[in-house]
Amino acid sequence: MARREVDDEKKSYSGVFLFAVGLLLIGSVWSVWDDAISRRPWKKYQAEFSMLAYNQTMAEIQAEEERLTADSSYQETMAALESAQTDIAGGEGGQHLATLQTELAAAEMRTSDAENALRIVRSEIEAAWYEYDHAIQLEHSTKDEKSYLDALLAEADAREKVFLAEQSERDRIENEINEINARVIEAQDSLRKMHQQKDFLTQRLDNYVMQPLPGLVLPAIPAITQVVVPEFDRSNFDTPLARVDRCQSCHVGIDKRGFEDQPNPHKTHPQYDLLMANHPPESFGCTSCHNGQGVATSSVDIAHGYVQFWEHPLLLGPKMEANCLSCHTDMQTVATRNTTVGQHIARGEKLFMQLGCTGCHLVEGYGEAKKIGPHLRRVAAKSDPAWMVEWVTNPHEFRPHTRMPHFFFTEDQGRAVTAYLMKVSMEEGQAWLESHPEPEGIDSTNAELVQKGGQLVNSLGCRACHGFSSEQTATMVGQNKNHAPNLARVAEKTNARWLYHWIKNPRDYSPDTAMPDLRLSDEEAQAIVSYLLTLKTEIERPDIRAELEDPDLVLEGEGLVRKYGCHGCHDIPGMEREARIGVELTSFGEKSLEELFFGNRTDVPHTWEDWTYEKVNAPRGYATERIEQLMPGFNLSDEDILSVRVFLKSQTGHHVPEQFTAHSDLTDAIVKGQRLVQYYNCTGCHVIEGGGGDIRPLYLDNPSFAPPILTGQGKKVQPDWFYGFLKQPIPIRPWLELRMPTFHFANDEASSIVDYFNALSKLDIPYNYFDRSRTSPEMVHAGEVLMSEDYFACFSCHQQGDRKPEGPPAGWAPDLALAKERLNPEWVVEWIQDPQALMPGTNMPTFYPGGPDDILAGDEDKQIVAMRDYIMLLGIDDPFASTNGSSGTEADTASEAIDEFQF
Amino acid sequence: MRMMNSKTVLSLVVGASLSLSSVALGYDAGAVSNGGSISGTITFAGDAPEAKPIEATKDAKVCAQTQKYDESLVVGESKGIKNAVVSISNISNGKDFGEAMVLDQKECVYTPHIVLTPAGSELEILNNDGILHNIHTYSEANPAFNQAQPKFKKKLKKKFDNPEYVKVTCDAHNWMTGWIVVMDHPYYAVTDGEGKFSLGDVPAGEYEVKIWHETLGETMQKVTVEAGGDASLAVELSQS
Repeated sequence: MARREVDDEKKSYSGVFLFAVGLLLIGSVWSVWDDAISRRPWKKYQAEFSMLAYNQTMAEIQAEEERLTADSSYQETMAALESAQTDIAGGEGGQHLATLQTELAAAEMRTSDAENALRIVRSEIEAAWYEYDHAIQLEHSTKDEKSYLDALLAEADAREKVFLAEQSERDRIENEINEINARVIEAQDSLRKMHQQKDFLTQRLDNYVMQPLPGLVLPAIPAITQVVVPEFDRSNFDTPLARVDRCQSCHVGIDKRGFEDQPNPHKTHPQYDLLMANHPPESFGCTSCHNGQGVATSSVDIAHGYVQFWEHPLLLGPKMEANCLSCHTDMQTVATRNTTVGQHIARGEKLFMQLGCTGCHLVEGYGEAKKIGPHLRRVAAKSDPAWMVEWVTNPHEFRPHTRMPHFFFTEDQGRAVTAYLMKVSMEEGQAWLESHPEPEGIDSTNAELVQKGGQLVNSLGCRACHGFSSEQTATMVGQNKNHAPNLARVAEKTNARWLYHWIKNPRDYSPDTAMPDLRLSDEEAQAIVSYLLTLKTEIERPDIRAELEDPDLVLEGEGLVRKYGCHGCHDIPGMEREARIGVELTSFGEKSLEELFFGNRTDVPHTWEDWTYEKVNAPRGYATERIEQLMPGFNLSDEDILSVRVFLKSQTGHHVPEQFTAHSDLTDAIVKGQRLVQYYNCTGCHVIEGGGGDIRPLYLDNPSFAPPILTGQGKKVQPDWFYGFLKQPIPIRPWLELRMPTFHFANDEASSIVDYFNALSKLDIPYNYFDRSRTSPEMVHAGEVLMSEDYFACFSCHQQGDRKPEGPPAGWAPDLALAKERLNPEWVVEWIQDPQALMPGTNMPTFYPGGPDDILAGDEDKQIVAMRDYIMLLGIDDPFASTNGSSGTEADTASEAIDEFQF
Repeated sequence: MRMMNSKTVLSLVVGASLSLSSVALGYDAGAVSNGGSISGTITFAGDAPEAKPIEATKDAKVCAQTQKYDESLVVGESKGIKNAVVSISNISNGKDFGEAMVLDQKECVYTPHIVLTPAGSELEILNNDGILHNIHTYSEANPAFNQAQPKFKKKLKKKFDNPEYVKVTCDAHNWMTGWIVVMDHPYYAVTDGEGKFSLGDVPAGEYEVKIWHETLGETMQKVTVEAGGDASLAVELSQS
């Protein structure tokens, strides 16, 4: 085919050229646009914020101006300045000032000349000294050098005099000028102070806007705001990595007050004082708490980490609290001190520990938790086998609020488990029974005895932990779990013999139990057991011991116990070395969807959150025909599940470096003690850290009969006394029917509890003893007089060793003879100053202000100290014997003694 | 007129009275011309309970000089209830406040058992017993306090700013109980031993009258007062 050849030279490429140029132009514009605008959405937010802040500041400036205009003292100062300026501006005064200023200039010139002349001669002296020393070292004659040096020294003296004279002349003129200007300077100074706020605001405008021309206001040029937190992260090779956050490029207002009502991203951080002031972003960054992709700035979603495979997307809602725990190991305390944050994570952590999750799942930091179930080594001596089959099969039917979870066993499985547990506990159970005979004096048909027992469980404090009917509640774990069993049907599960010996000494049966010893007398225990035996329904259960002896059944039971991990919560003979059966959850919060098994469930949305909720809510839901699920059902409320989920989210396996955490010896002590306090349920009776006191509703009519509130306990008592008290409690408040039980704490437990209260009171050094060398017989005597019947009549209510107050113990107050060992001397002073402030509602009345005028010259502070001194020495014979021969308590009447005081 | 049988009325009224302080009606005091009065008797439905003697277990020398009786429910021979407080609950103007009463601690008994005090004025509290008493108040609308009044402090003054029925006890003598009734208007009275009371100088109008008793609870009654007339009121209270 022939084609017509056209000369290249004659071809026009202008169309192509134009097209290419156009394309290049479009490409260039696009690339600039994309680089400057599209991929920098933060610029828009920053500009918006700048204008917002500008307008807000302008409004503030205007308000400030209005305030100044309205402020009469500002107006007066302005007028004063003006009149002062007028006075010195013209006329004779003005002329005089001008003359002085000319003179000052001349004097300054002369002073500086004189100073220079002095300096020159001083440097010549340095040279002369060198020549002189040099001559000495060369052993030459020094005569010339010496005379030259002397001449220079004399010259220097003369010139110094000239300089000083010139200087004082200059100062004189300056002072004269200042005197004339004084009124102006003074007025200017005070105006500057009044202006301060306005100047500050005006200066602040420059942060937000540029004003290149009058009237033209442009937002400041946006810039990436970046925080680098060195060594916050570790690389995969365990080298330190910096955390880089650019969040504040959009969230400009986050660390600035005054934008609380703005929408995101301009808003001030909520709860600024607590969250922002304590965690400044320049030290901690943002993603350390919130997660997200801190370095990303190209879009909101990307920056917030909502992109596939980004492991830490922004935490929203309650989950926002998940990271608190990384730095605050004492989250329970943090959440009670600040009731607006951290509630979910604290609840979740507590639930996780108290529901026994750690029995099956290892989580770093929680591995040491005690088994929460009763030990089963001797259960054959305790439980009715037919009852136990029912219980194992479905515990929630017998006790709807028990912490024991539901394993969804069939009745046959329940029978097998029971058969095994009966078998393994038979030997120890028998041995225990042999040493614990059938008790006497128990009669559940004796109405009087039963009634007495019922009264005792109410008055001794049993109700703090146990309910005795299905309606009664005591300490709860989460929203619907009982901390200790509800005993409404206790007589169905066990027998009089076990009950009697159990309540007399729980640790004798189970060395690890949280149930304390109430130091019951035989009669009390008999009455209580008689009462407990009436707590049952009509259900009769057959004796199935014989059929449980079937070895096949026992073998099947052993398999089930092992498989379902009963040993996670219970001490079972032969299973002491079994490992936890559940998955380790130390980094569960980081699990990706690929690692979560949804089984055949199509109704559960594929998110970590939904998977986790459903797993706790219906633990067997992900089972398929091929794949079993073993986790039992806890029957938790939705809110409890959500809290547990926040806790699980917090488990990332990452460690925040120590320097960023709030960790200290005090937080360690708090965490350690608090876990014991939770385990033993001290808060069933006592208010500790503002919470607990579950038994108090029974004492609404008379709160003084409720157990003592332990707020500030660390500051109140001496640590060694407290330790001894925990080991062996003695009655301090004789009016209480409640009895502080003996928990038989191990030494380290008692010590940890003491440390816990000291740490709560923020005492680094808890020891605080009374220094008797700092008081005097006179002070002590004044204290005695103040406390006597004629004045405050303290012993009208307070016991004093063997000297008891009048009337029934219900009206008594603590034994002051114990004070010297028990109380912190500084606390006693605070207490007398204002008892209601330390313990609202206390029966101890307020005495101050209102002390008598005739003691210690009416000095109330001194009177309080005097009483403290007296109390701290109460019961000590002749406390001043070694320092002072007489104890000075001879004076008969108060006034006589008081006159002698010389303070 | 018999009306105190329904617990529902009681609970409604209790709810209403609790909000008394928050409502805090302003009250204008001034001269009342041609006012009427409300008077009547509060009686007890049922058999009059026997007087319960108090055993003074402490400071007997002072407290047990004469036999004292529990005053939480005192019913006279004609079944009149002593120590009920009758007050108008919806009055916004009327006579001037009367003189404040004085609370005396006499032989370990609060005398009178119920003391009326106008809101915002100082209540004088006396202790001439020569022993330690303490005034422990249980209040919500006013700050609760527990103030010692030792022997040497014969007179104390305490201010109550808000209307409330304040229970007072002494922790040193646990049988001592009294009430301080604070109102922001002067139309309230305590019934005498025969259950009688009288409120004078009431401007003509329709009123809600509240009858309060420390153990029998409280009830409301509508009363119309005519100029110069006397509206009589007879209310029977019963143990709920």
